[in-house]
Amino acid sequence: MSVLYHCPHLDESRRPPLPSSYPSSSTSFTPLHSLYFCEECDGVRCNQCVAVEVASYYCPNCLFDVPSANVRGDRNKCNRSCYACPQCATALQIQPTEKMENDQMISGAPYSLICTGCRWSSKTIGWEFDKATGIASQLAKLDPGQAAKTEFEAIKDHLETYMSSSNPEPIRTSSKVPTRHISHLTQMAAKALHRDVPGLAAAKAKGKVRATAGSRSGGLEKAHTKWDELSDYVAKDAWRGGNDSLGIDQLSEMERPEVAALSKRWCSSWGRSSLSSSVLPDRILLHTKLTKRCPHPSCRHLLIQPDAKSVRFKIKMVALNYLPAVEIGRRRRRQDKGPGSTPMAPEEIEQRQRERRRTKAKAGDEEDEEMDKALERGAVYVYQLAFTNPLYDPIQIRLTQPYPPKDAPPINHHVHIPTQHFTVSALKEAWAYDEDDEDDDLPGLEGASEVPSDEGVSTVGGTLGRRNRISTLGTTSSGLREKRARGETGVEKKANMTKVLLEVEVLPDAKGDVTFDLEVRYTYRADAPAPNKEEPTSKSSPNDELKTFTFWVRLNVGKVA
Amino acid sequence: MGAFDPLVTYEKGTYIETDTGNKVSRKAVITGATNIILGGKSIIQSGAVLRGDLRRYTAGQHVVISMGRYCNISEGVVIRPPGKIYKGSFTFYPVRIGDCVTIGQNSVVEAAQIGLGVEIGKDCIIGKFVIIKDLAVILPETVLPEATVVPPMTVWGGNPGQLLDSLPETHQEMVEAKCKGFYSRFRAA
Repeated sequence: MSVLYHCPHLDESRRPPLPSSYPSSSTSFTPLHSLYFCEECDGVRCNQCVAVEVASYYCPNCLFDVPSANVRGDRNKCNRSCYACPQCATALQIQPTEKMENDQMISGAPYSLICTGCRWSSKTIGWEFDKATGIASQLAKLDPGQAAKTEFEAIKDHLETYMSSSNPEPIRTSSKVPTRHISHLTQMAAKALHRDVPGLAAAKAKGKVRATAGSRSGGLEKAHTKWDELSDYVAKDAWRGGNDSLGIDQLSEMERPEVAALSKRWCSSWGRSSLSSSVLPDRILLHTKLTKRCPHPSCRHLLIQPDAKSVRFKIKMVALNYLPAVEIGRRRRRQDKGPGSTPMAPEEIEQRQRERRRTKAKAGDEEDEEMDKALERGAVYVYQLAFTNPLYDPIQIRLTQPYPPKDAPPINHHVHIPTQHFTVSALKEAWAYDEDDEDDDLPGLEGASEVPSDEGVSTVGGTLGRRNRISTLGTTSSGLREKRARGETGVEKKANMTKVLLEVEVLPDAKGDVTFDLEVRYTYRADAPAPNKEEPTSKSSPNDELKTFTFWVRLNVGKVA
Repeated sequence: MGAFDPLVTYEKGTYIETDTGNKVSRKAVITGATNIILGGKSIIQSGAVLRGDLRRYTAGQHVVISMGRYCNISEGVVIRPPGKIYKGSFTFYPVRIGDCVTIGQNSVVEAAQIGLGVEIGKDCIIGKFVIIKDLAVILPETVLPEATVVPPMTVWGGNPGQLLDSLPETHQEMVEAKCKGFYSRFRAA
């Protein structure tokens, strides 16, 4: 059982998504609570398509905000006193040594790191500290990795001098002599294009040597190769002593707990021992708070801006506050199955659907079922769909099934929506809801609620002028009210939620999950009419303050037994 | 949200409802009630143990357990304040629990602080002096060792507990709706 919302991933064609029978379509469906909504371009955005920037770094253990200038120097790790246990990755605690002095327990230096999860102690690897604060800086003197670090810096410096000295040859791109102004630009561009990629310089030089060797045989001598400019690097050698690596034979003779698991070693930066007793604790990796932006190239508006101090967000544009929440529940199984055992011809299905529209199911011939029970082949299930309105204005919803593409794989079910048009009341404070809040509905929208369903309906709601809408209202709404009073429509309204029925007929030869998409088009009243910012789905005239928005949801109602 | 969640009913008379809307089971073991503050509209289900008697041994009034609004303490949960030896004598420290905190069945909690909107699954062990920041989720059967710090908006699980995931930005709204919904659905039969 799930309801997922469609994210178009910047596709502006507003086409319905591929049906669920295409597995590739699953990547564009996400739960509502993890979707964003860009007000500027009026579109749903998901975590896969938003542009992400790091707003701040913090340590997940000491919760200290690390200035981004220090992050690179600290190698993305907390540079205070936060270490993770080498055995179980729990954050280590600093423990003082306790001594008995004059019959009194005195605690003080030396301090050690201890794991509260597995009782590992840094004493086993000989780490002890004079102070209880700034462990990382104290450890900088002790850390055996320090030698390797200096070695790395030395070799980096050595190579850098070579890379900066090997300048590319001037490139002649065309025979035309550009004007002085343009020539400056082209020179800059050429420089940028032919800038050396670090690390590629050596390969390039090698290539050159080969090229010259080849050309020499042809008798043409090309100039300077610069290959010999790289002088030999002499390793400092100091770092080699610390690594007491063991041979594979020795390792295979050991008991399992003595050998450190790969998962405990692969994060350590330098070559270390494979014995679990000598794996060193590592500083805890920093975490980030992220700023998220609309991915649209011409928009780039902020969707999420976190607050560095608290869990609040300075800007939070989430779909939860814009799109009606769809939930599915209350499964009932229709008892009068009819001739459901044989596969039906399309005409037969069409006829049955038409019949169903005319004759409402009588109360009592449906039986409530558990939602997680397996579906049965050939059975008709009636579900309730609940729509919750997050807006402070009532909305009108048009619920349809998108047409599948021509050559789509066959489906294992049929869906019938008895009530395609209905309204959902506005969100209000809990005390502001009246007993009977039908009068709160958007004027002109109520009338469309129970138009006999017709696949091609698209002319209701925002497309008609206001006067027209009110006149159509007068004729239909009284009948609707009567019907509603008799409880025939199956539409339940409560506060800002409306529940409608949905019929799903599982075909006799069905297999697997029953999944289908629904197209939800809702009409709402925009806060201020903005004629220059008319979204493509809105068919209303520029002066009309009613707007429509279309989205797709994917419902999974369970597996066929 | 929560349109189809069923009512949770209890037998009439088995719960005491306070003026501020707290619903406390008669079968819950609450010791040292004068040292416990409930923010209102919180539910303490049967078999839960709240040790308000484990207080600091100095004169004067001490709040041992303070809890916010819309909390839900499930059946068999034990909440006891953490204690340690400080300057040669053993002392208990208070537990602070924020709003909209849900603690699942049979979990044992000795945390020092639980922020708002924290969700602790069932059968968890939350060690002494653990600090759980706002809107964290502790999955069922997690063991958090002593003095663990759980940063906000993260998911923790396993034994010993590890950071597994982070939560979407809408988590606060979801948790608040869930807790308020549960309180309104928790009624006498």
